[in-house]
Amino acid sequence: MTDGQDPAWRERLSRRVFVNRLTFMGGGVVLLGSACKDEPKPKKPSPRLPEALVSSHRTFTDDEWATLTAAVDRVLPKDEGAAGALEAGVPEYVDRILQTQELRRMKDDFIPGLAALDRRAQRLFKVPFAHAADHQKDEVLTLFKDSPESSGEAKWYEILVVLTMEGFLGDPSYGGNRGEVGWKAVGFTLVGRNVKADPKSGYDGAKTLDALRCGGGKGC
Amino acid sequence: MAKPSVDVCIVGSGAGGAPMALTLGQAGFKVVVLEKGPWYTKDDFVHDEILSSRRNFFMPLPWDEPHLWKKDTANFQRTNEAWTANCVGGGTVHMSGFFYRLKPVDFRLKTLLGAVKGANVADWPIAYSDLAPYYDKAEEELGVSGNAVPHKFLEPRKKNYPLPPLGEHPVAFELEKAARSLGWQAIPTARGITSIPYQGRAACVYCTLCGSYGCEHDAKSSTLASLIPKALATKNVELRPRCMATQVLTDDKGLAKSVLYLDEDGVTQEQPARVVVVSATSVESARLLLASKSSRFANGLGNDSGQLGKNLVFSSFGQSRAIFRVSKQKAAHPWLEAQAPFVNRSLQDFYVMPDDRFGFKKGGTLGFMLAHPNPIYAGVKLAGKGKDGVFGASLKQKLAEYKDSRIVEFEIYGEFLPTDGTFVSLAENVKDKYGLPVAAISVQRHPTDLVMTKFLVERGEELLQSLDPQSVERIGVQGETTILQGGTCRFGADPATSFLDKNCRAHAVKNLYVVDGSFLPSSGGVPITLTIVANSFRVADALVAQLKHG
Repeated sequence: MTDGQDPAWRERLSRRVFVNRLTFMGGGVVLLGSACKDEPKPKKPSPRLPEALVSSHRTFTDDEWATLTAAVDRVLPKDEGAAGALEAGVPEYVDRILQTQELRRMKDDFIPGLAALDRRAQRLFKVPFAHAADHQKDEVLTLFKDSPESSGEAKWYEILVVLTMEGFLGDPSYGGNRGEVGWKAVGFTLVGRNVKADPKSGYDGAKTLDALRCGGGKGC
Repeated sequence: MAKPSVDVCIVGSGAGGAPMALTLGQAGFKVVVLEKGPWYTKDDFVHDEILSSRRNFFMPLPWDEPHLWKKDTANFQRTNEAWTANCVGGGTVHMSGFFYRLKPVDFRLKTLLGAVKGANVADWPIAYSDLAPYYDKAEEELGVSGNAVPHKFLEPRKKNYPLPPLGEHPVAFELEKAARSLGWQAIPTARGITSIPYQGRAACVYCTLCGSYGCEHDAKSSTLASLIPKALATKNVELRPRCMATQVLTDDKGLAKSVLYLDEDGVTQEQPARVVVVSATSVESARLLLASKSSRFANGLGNDSGQLGKNLVFSSFGQSRAIFRVSKQKAAHPWLEAQAPFVNRSLQDFYVMPDDRFGFKKGGTLGFMLAHPNPIYAGVKLAGKGKDGVFGASLKQKLAEYKDSRIVEFEIYGEFLPTDGTFVSLAENVKDKYGLPVAAISVQRHPTDLVMTKFLVERGEELLQSLDPQSVERIGVQGETTILQGGTCRFGADPATSFLDKNCRAHAVKNLYVVDGSFLPSSGGVPITLTIVANSFRVADALVAQLKHG
């Protein structure tokens, strides 16, 4: 296992390689956590934001949860045409998927980015990101998005978008795409659909992912 | 301790390994197949994009089992490029199943092109006619749906496909008309998918999620659904999933004697065999053989010529797409509202050019299809990144436009000229999760490939434009499709310039065979999956004859 033993390659590693096309197979982009190596660790949870969006979140502190929720809401806001990230349960998806073993590296990279977002909002607007006005939040997100490609900010923004899209458009069994609102927003319909998205089927994508470590299927 | 010896040990259960296992099992030989991935069943295949397309259900994660990848003078980077599915059935499980045959001209590229500066072009040691009966067999055994129509590059064939063509989206007929008006011919694309029930397997249900997914109806003609059950039914074949081959061992005469592997518990096992067959993809087979060093073979098993790992080829890739707005254009183009998933049309008018006035002589195929419906993939692309990236209302607007769109696209399967700069080596200092050195892939494209791909993409764009779309977007003209791989163990008559003989037996190791795409001296201008299956059936017959006569 090279896990954690060779940080140098992770810095050299460009996520671009993984965001490349794989259209021959319908486009799989493997999620890869490699961002934000320079970001300091998040601050300890603080008692502010007591009204925090109540949730059973396990990956994030209340502050981080508030920042995440505010960020994905700006990436995919609700409008009169279609549901947004919050209706779809994107924060719940992110919280849950970052508990899976496969994404342990991404989790370590993603969490400090939330604190960085908060710090930037504090510096610019004297408020935590979650308390900033919408146009201020957008300004901070744009700063991250437009940072140099190899920067931690730009890579973190990319992961934010990928996780938001997974939570918006992924199988509902992971906790996002509630009521298939994301699929409705893009007109995704499965003809002769396999019923795994049906809660009655008992299918749980995240559990299946974890099972992959011991095989899944025969021979496990 | 070593396991009981068998006649043949096969490494890999995909397009190359499975036909070999079936043929040997039918001939009464005892076979063990080692497959590094899990053994999925139909119930494991779920229309879950996160699971199937974005995690390690099929492909290893790049931090667990990286490939090193380097193009031109760039530095090596860790990627998951050039893996195909790690599971029983290999890449045939998640393939799209575009089942073309090569054409006679593909077997004599050197004759066609002459010497090409900067490229190691070679004729094959066999002709199309040697492989033709095995194409027939592969199409029968796997189950291929299609309709062979006369056209200027139609490969000779005795009969039509074993299954009728799949139902098609009406844009297929628009493409036919448009091609005719340009003086070209849009021909049907054969698919490794059952159009009607076949050999106990169900027919395709047109679910729309095909490529990059396993088929829960066994309608996709993977070796998992077609050949492997038949091989197991012979009772002579044992398939061991989650067994990672680490080395082929040799005896003091330099013959292969066994395969070392890590079993599902990570315990090293040894499987002795009279014959060893390697079929783990061009990249991974080269890696295994390069790692199988001994005092007799210090540079990798059978590598007297130094050719092992050399002349790696992929398929030259280019792509463009036509975007239609359904609400605005459906009155003019009623076909926009049809929901069928398959287009199944190809252009092969530029397979071979009459002269080199456009800078290339050997071209390839344009395969037309509807854009893959994976929504997360589409959403991430629409969001973009950097200064071109959008979020908020702009992104919502793009998603709404996407919902109102039909996307017709093509991709190129073009000749990929072998070069000295495109090869596989062993990265001794980079280890995978098993602690084994990983494969390092160096790529240096021949400039002619890029000229050719651009030309083909431009022709495809002309065709798309004539369908009157709202816009045509070019995706790229300089890529390579790395799941289509060949070379690294070239076959040929001369042991100095090839690793395998014409029956895919190593020149230097008389009981070692390689039957994935590694034998290919040239990529051809079509996806090579069907060719790998056909060639493995051919080699299997030769091996059976050899085993029967001592």
